[in-house]
Amino acid sequence: MQPKRVLVALAGTSADPDMLRLVAAIAKSAKAEVIGIHVIEVRWNLPLDAVMEPELDRGEELLASAKKLADQTGLDLETELLQARDAAAAIVDTAVERKCDLIVVAMPFRKRLGRVYVGRTVQNVYVNAPCAVLAYRQEETR
Amino acid sequence: MIDDEGKDDSTGSGKEKDDQSPSLDKRVTQPGRHVGDRYVRIVRPTGSGLRGHGGRWVATEETMERTGRIGRAWDSALRFLIGQRLETEAEGEERVGVATGLPILASDNISSSAYATEEAMRVLALAGTAALALTMPIAIAVVFVLAIVILSESRVIRAYPNGGGSYLVARENHGVIAGLVAASALLIDYVLTVAVSTAAGVAAISSFVPELHDYRVVAGLVLIAVLVIGNLRGVREAGLLFAAPTYAYMIAMYGLVAFGLFRIMTGDPPAPVAPPNPFPPDGTAPLTLLLVLRAFASGSVGLTGSEAVANGVPSFRRPETTNAIKTLVLMGTIFATIFLAITWLSTTIGIQPDIREQETVNSMMTKAIVGAGTPFYYIVQVTTAIILLLAANTGFTGFPRLASVLANDRFMPRHFADVGSRLAFNFGIVVLALLACVILAAFDGSVTNLVPLYTIGVFLAFTLSQSGLVRRWRRLRNPGWRFSIAINAFGTVVTGTVLLVVAYTKFEHGAWMVLVLIPLISALLYGIHRHYQTVHDALVLSGPDQHKVQTLPAPVVIVPIARLDRAALQALAFARSVSPIVKAVHVSTSKTSAEEFRKRWAQLDTDIKLDVVESPYRSLVAPLLKYIDAMDKSDDRPITVVLSEFVPHHWWEWLLHSQTAFRLKAALLFRPNTIVIDVPYHFEEPGHHTRRK
Repeated sequence: MQPKRVLVALAGTSADPDMLRLVAAIAKSAKAEVIGIHVIEVRWNLPLDAVMEPELDRGEELLASAKKLADQTGLDLETELLQARDAAAAIVDTAVERKCDLIVVAMPFRKRLGRVYVGRTVQNVYVNAPCAVLAYRQEETR
Repeated sequence: MIDDEGKDDSTGSGKEKDDQSPSLDKRVTQPGRHVGDRYVRIVRPTGSGLRGHGGRWVATEETMERTGRIGRAWDSALRFLIGQRLETEAEGEERVGVATGLPILASDNISSSAYATEEAMRVLALAGTAALALTMPIAIAVVFVLAIVILSESRVIRAYPNGGGSYLVARENHGVIAGLVAASALLIDYVLTVAVSTAAGVAAISSFVPELHDYRVVAGLVLIAVLVIGNLRGVREAGLLFAAPTYAYMIAMYGLVAFGLFRIMTGDPPAPVAPPNPFPPDGTAPLTLLLVLRAFASGSVGLTGSEAVANGVPSFRRPETTNAIKTLVLMGTIFATIFLAITWLSTTIGIQPDIREQETVNSMMTKAIVGAGTPFYYIVQVTTAIILLLAANTGFTGFPRLASVLANDRFMPRHFADVGSRLAFNFGIVVLALLACVILAAFDGSVTNLVPLYTIGVFLAFTLSQSGLVRRWRRLRNPGWRFSIAINAFGTVVTGTVLLVVAYTKFEHGAWMVLVLIPLISALLYGIHRHYQTVHDALVLSGPDQHKVQTLPAPVVIVPIARLDRAALQALAFARSVSPIVKAVHVSTSKTSAEEFRKRWAQLDTDIKLDVVESPYRSLVAPLLKYIDAMDKSDDRPITVVLSEFVPHHWWEWLLHSQTAFRLKAALLFRPNTIVIDVPYHFEEPGHHTRRK
């Protein structure tokens, strides 16, 4: 598969840098555009457009560091900050709107009840995305 | 306000829908694929370096990054030399404790122990070698004065914990003039601290590398450059850089003194080392009271630097006052012990100074105690050279800080108050270095030539601050004010007496220059203040009526046009957007070209009127200026000149163009009531003209 436009969901976890390097390798060989997004999830007791400064600050910061890392790897990363009730829906909707043919999500290595925990967002993106989805799971920390 | 239709909506700052003012924070609500799914796209200037934070925009480090190859290379060089930029909030971390503060603020005073003995000896030696016996009593007198100064300075620190030292004390208690005199004296002294300490440092090195003696000025200039870089890295880093050598000097000197005392007490006194160029044994001058006083004045050079701690109280960590006083007392104790011990050992062993300053007294004493060429001899010489250079660093700490205080009080240019990327006062550091370099070169890098200029400033500042405190205690009458008055009054008498002695005995040896410079600099500072005051009075919003933003009538816009091209049309279009009253003016060098221009103008689809000025003397700028003057006289409305300026892609292409707009801008800069608007036209690539917004 040679994707033309890749959407990378950046959650600010420890898996983000590795995922970005992987995306850089894929995008460079396929000469694909890469869009990096971070979604701030808004609780139901707040309006959708509520200004949440700490989350905005964190989001901007992680997008800035992703851009910096992308620059270092020679990747031209376009970044976008979103606010939604559900991160997975916003990721899928943005991918559809921007005509992306690959969504890349990352999950840090976490276990719950002795099993690797995928997480709600990754699972929902997997289930709902109309395009290809690549989930990068971080290796187990020893 | 959220636009549910998904239209662009600047709601981040709560603006009305009809508000057309631009916003950096836009929120666009997008419908999702499923019913009820919506998300908000936050459009912020990502990549610009501006970051939204609590309703305001914060300029991150990204905004400071230069673009282009040369800019990036310059940035990299700066970061390599002076380190990464620091945020203003990091200032607290840049403060220092006693252990780091000692090398930064006290190294000047401690290092004076390396040459104070020699300076006193050099004067006494004029009366013959027998007169050198008076060195020890003079050293005791100097230490006594130092004790008084430290006691008095500790009271300055308690009374003025925000620093400013003698300048602030004198200004608050004696008035502005006295404050400026104290400030001028200190500024001169800081410059001399750098020059003298560097010269002394080079002298210490040339004692064991005699080849350096002929290149002492160049060596001094190089060392000042190193100090500039160290100080541009910030106070804390400078302190950390210089802490180890200061402590190494102290350990080396205490070790030397202990070994010297051990040898004398165990009946193995070191044999004296003769100087390469001795003074005549019988002397060249009689031993008079004046000569003794001159020797005392020269030895008092050891008291310089003791004011730096009081001036730099804000550099200390909390509790600033306690830390500053601890540093002050430690400094005095270290100086006194080393100075007295060196003086006693030198006189006991029988060391004499060198008439040509080829070898220092310390070097000869060390040779006598531990032997020439031994590792310990080199350790003492190297650490001495380094601490003398660090003493110059006290000047770099004091001068920029005092200059910034003066700049904040509008007595010095504003640039002195600007804080650099490492939270250091870069402008003050560079100016100080330049002044010190000039003085060092002018006095041929000689410590003896420079020392007569030294100490007057310090003692003048001491006297003014001590007497200022006496007035303060009398005015405030706090508990224990009588005791405080007694201390500071005694301090005034002692420092005032030393000032008179130093001024009198060193007058003809160069002190007159300082005595002439102090009033001149004071007058200059006062003149600067008057200018700022006049500007402030003219600009300040005084009454409530002045707080209203007035609407001015549309101006008369004059657009000088050299030729009809894209740049000219852009300027005309912009002028039209500013005001309906636009006048184009063309200066022509001949009648034929004027007619040609008129014909071309007539083909233009515009209602803007054109005036053509014929200039048979071929000048462009002068006739244009006269035209603007005439237009200004004939019309009451404000004049605005819109200039179209062609901007080439490369800097070197700039040289190929006549830059009439640039010359006109420069000519109109000081013309009253004239607004000049520059409309740049950027030339992107050869053969392809594009406009940049």
